[in-house]
Amino acid sequence: MGGHAMKGKLKSWGTLLLSLTLVTAMLLTACSGGNGGKSNGGNAESPGAGGDDKGKAEQAEKVELRLGFYSSAQSDDKMQELIDKFQVKHPNITIKTESSPYNQFFQKLDTQIAAESAPDLWLSDGVLVPKYAERGVLKDLTPLIEQDLNKDDYFGLDFNKDANGKYWGVPQGIQIAVLYYNKDMFDEAKVEYPTADWTWDDLKSAAEKLTKDSTGKFATDPAFDKNKISQYGLTFFSITEGWMTVLKSFGGGVLDETLTKSVINSPENKKALDWIVDGMNRELLTTPSDLKSFQSNMAPFPSKAAAMRIGIYARTIDANAAELNYDVTILPKGPEGKRFSPVIANSWVINKKAEGAKGDAAWEWIKYWATEDEVQKEWASLGEAVPVKKSVANSSEFLSGKPENKQAFLDSFEFAGTLDVNAVWSEWVGKFNDNINRAFEGEVPVDEALKKADTEVQQVLDEFYKK
Amino acid sequence: MSKRTGGDLPAIKRKKRLDSDGKWGLLMVTPYLVHFIVFVLGSLLASLYFSFSDYDILNPPKWTGLDNYAKLFNESVFWKALWNTVYFTILFVPLQTILALILAVALNQKLRVLKLFRLAHFLPVISSWTVIMYVSDAIFNPRFGFANAFLIKLGLDPQKWLQDAHLVIPLLVMIAVWKGIGYIMVIFLAGLQNVPSDVYEAAEIDGAGTLRKFRHITVPLISGTTFLVLILSTISTFQAFEQIYVMTGGAMDASSAGGPNKASLVLMIYLYQEGFSFLRMGYASAIAWVLFVILFLLTVVQVVLQKKWVHYE
Repeated sequence: MGGHAMKGKLKSWGTLLLSLTLVTAMLLTACSGGNGGKSNGGNAESPGAGGDDKGKAEQAEKVELRLGFYSSAQSDDKMQELIDKFQVKHPNITIKTESSPYNQFFQKLDTQIAAESAPDLWLSDGVLVPKYAERGVLKDLTPLIEQDLNKDDYFGLDFNKDANGKYWGVPQGIQIAVLYYNKDMFDEAKVEYPTADWTWDDLKSAAEKLTKDSTGKFATDPAFDKNKISQYGLTFFSITEGWMTVLKSFGGGVLDETLTKSVINSPENKKALDWIVDGMNRELLTTPSDLKSFQSNMAPFPSKAAAMRIGIYARTIDANAAELNYDVTILPKGPEGKRFSPVIANSWVINKKAEGAKGDAAWEWIKYWATEDEVQKEWASLGEAVPVKKSVANSSEFLSGKPENKQAFLDSFEFAGTLDVNAVWSEWVGKFNDNINRAFEGEVPVDEALKKADTEVQQVLDEFYKK
Repeated sequence: MSKRTGGDLPAIKRKKRLDSDGKWGLLMVTPYLVHFIVFVLGSLLASLYFSFSDYDILNPPKWTGLDNYAKLFNESVFWKALWNTVYFTILFVPLQTILALILAVALNQKLRVLKLFRLAHFLPVISSWTVIMYVSDAIFNPRFGFANAFLIKLGLDPQKWLQDAHLVIPLLVMIAVWKGIGYIMVIFLAGLQNVPSDVYEAAEIDGAGTLRKFRHITVPLISGTTFLVLILSTISTFQAFEQIYVMTGGAMDASSAGGPNKASLVLMIYLYQEGFSFLRMGYASAIAWVLFVILFLLTVVQVVLQKKWVHYE
């Protein structure tokens, strides 16, 4: 109820505020469109920022490198420590980290890529490298690798090579699977520890003696109740720590070498799946629904509910933390003596949009990570992954500690292979699982599951590759 | 974007000049308008466009016309997800509405202790699904859950509960009713407060019993509230995501949500997996628009039907 003057003032204030709001809104919307370019140019201190031609000048220009990685409580401190050391060595490079827990990291990354504001380089799960590479998001690292890295010195470079021989990433650490076994459980059941000569059938007959119901009766006992298992012979989960190893060592597999054709409906796969289904039917192996009653799919072995597991290197962390009395050996061989150990090479990849000085700085980081013994040793000390550099992997620093037979991880490289990883990997794995899980639960016969999986997986492949 | 905000002005200016209250009003709603246009209308239109294109998030969308819709209607998983959603809704909405009404009537007395009961029924409403997942795991875990221990005690066979394709949706519905009933009960309680007590008194004088009063007075007089509850819960059930995602293990592995073997795969989970796990944002947008059309039609049907049974005043 103020005077006229007051009202007039208010009016003009109102108009001013309104226009301010609109301008802000305009700016906000404009920003979301072009912020990628803006932050690239805006933050360098030197006036000549962003010039490609200046990259090679002796007086290195200042670069801000945005580095993305999925974080974990175990490794974040070490990562920061290594980043600090890198910045001391390369005073012109400032690293800005962007990290979040695994699932959120990749979800955010996808939207960042859409908005052209993705990090300059990031740590990719090995199985996701082709997803980004084949969709044109990553920089082709082939020339840089040829020029700066001696391939024989490193594990796993070839695990990121695509069907055309191009490299899209440099491994940050290697995951390779072996057979884990709980010594206490073997001792209790008076079963000999697994050896390198084991076949899958040997494993199954041991599993029979190690699977126990809640009244303490083993599966070999006629009174054994398979509806009340307290200890499984072998815990078995999805592709990496489940069926892929068995399929491949039985001579089967999922995709051909072009990674665009399904080879699922084969007699070898049928034999392998029969082997698995029989084990699950007798509850010697965990079925997919058995796993749901655990805190996580990885939990049965460290929580002492399974005597054996197919496990990648990172699983030593939980096993050690649970203070299990365990060891590892190479995975069993198939009926024809074939062996297979799945590998996932989690890798550093560079954003295609990171050009010039940023691209160079990103490659510097990768070189620092892969070539420097100190970095490799520091990272290996976390126990998360097998070091990429062979000399470090073969050193006593890596090979000492639990489990005793760490050498098994290195020996497994001889028959290691990827998980038929391509651009639509998560999707075809999903389709494959949908179908064979039904066979695992005894709902459909193996033949039918294979046939349907074959059709559905091929459909997923065709949709992406035949476009 | 700001141009569109400007575009709204002439419409309001019909009275030739906006008086000062009008300007102030406009100023006050500007933040909301900007938010609405940029983040609601903008995304809506974008998703409509995406639904007609091949869009993998990582690369710009390519126009493909009706391809996504054609694929959708030929995809058996879509029909399965639609059926699961409908099945969930058919079980959930009537069950929750009827139970909440009974509960509200029972607790609509002027007794002090009853406040405690109302509070007890409202507690699950404010708990997060993650917490409820752990609680229900303690009960329904096939290995060490209370439910199976109980069945075994009675000499019955243990069940796989949420891992059983036939049990999973009914069980999820039961848990959802348990969690949601307090909220609906509060809405009904508010409706019951508006029923004049003299109507009940008149009925009592005429010799009506409790059941007759409920049937002939309470039910018709709160039919407006019931209608609101039905619409709201149908829509929210069609959009159900969090409960099923969390309780069927989506947090552990996004592709296993909706399990076992897609037995509890509802439309929203299907949409999420297609869009975010498999980078088919165009296809996922098409699912969203089909869902919108279904919900729109359902609501229209409910609005038309309400004339038959809803009494206002």
